Amino acid sequence: MNDFSELESELKRLRPTEVGDALFQRVERALLRPDKTATAETPGAGIIPRQPSRTGTWWSLGLGLTAATVLILLGLGFFAPPQTKTTPTVAQETPAASTSPSLTSGLQPSALTQTVYRQRDEGLVFSPNQSERLLRRVRYDTRETMQWRNPQTGASLRVSYPAEQVVLTPVSFQ
Amino acid sequence: MERTLDENWKTCFAQLGPALLLFARRWANCRADAEDIVQEAFVRFWRRQHSIENRALLYATVRSTALDRLRSDQRRARREAAVALDRDEHSEPCFSTADEGQQLLAAAVERLPDEQREVVILKVWNELTFAEIATVLEISQNTAASRYRYALGALKKSLQPHE
Repeated sequence: MNDFSELESELKRLRPTEVGDALFQRVERALLRPDKTATAETPGAGIIPRQPSRTGTWWSLGLGLTAATVLILLGLGFFAPPQTKTTPTVAQETPAASTSPSLTSGLQPSALTQTVYRQRDEGLVFSPNQSERLLRRVRYDTRETMQWRNPQTGASLRVSYPAEQVVLTPVSFQ
Repeated sequence: MERTLDENWKTCFAQLGPALLLFARRWANCRADAEDIVQEAFVRFWRRQHSIENRALLYATVRSTALDRLRSDQRRARREAAVALDRDEHSEPCFSTADEGQQLLAAAVERLPDEQREVVILKVWNELTFAEIATVLEISQNTAASRYRYALGALKKSLQPHE
């Protein structure tokens, strides 16, 4: 770099043209205006356009499928034939006591896999919360597969669904 | 809590504005467009109450704002082509030059490829480190350093007298 020290000092002597009064006035007017996240007044405003709707769709789809799976499992456990109850004292058992054996002897979680099939670096974004830090956003498209198995009957159930994960990593400036 | 408007934003803007405009010129085909970008980015930065010392974040905001404007422009391709064509034709000075030597140097800086020129602008007139430049431009630190080296080499070469 020593070869360029003279050139660098010459460059530093070069001054960029000053900001005009008109721009000062525009900035002042903009600062005086109420902050409406600048989207309404300036269509091009924004650091990087966020895509909350798509993220929400995928997450809700994943959560919905998970909830549906849990309901199916509960239903299977509920309708499974009891295997140990033989005494007439069943009328005195609590509902929890009667369902518990069928659940424990039913399907059990056996595997959970997550396959990442696409990764996208979406660059720098501002944190959506109050901290307003600059973050790097990386979006992962994944497929999650959950498997249950009944060790007694050998029956198995597998549910697979697409999911999307967004990882925000704080970026530090020196 | 918003920072009071009277709190020396004018001082900050007077100090940083010229270099911000210089930096924004890359994405603008005229000074007016560059001013739009700088205005939007500075207002956004100031409202978020970031430390003005965080120059890297300020420049990242300018860059993101400029890119966002380009993305939102449906005639992006045409506009970018216009930028490329107009840059040579536009002779709005980016620098205040005192003598012929400075004029030559300023012209040489403006002839640099965009990628090299923006690194020079951030390094020379804003004194950002290569690590900060890398963060602002989303490139590696080595790339930032080598672009700077290439730029200075090109400037030196262009300023040498031709025989």
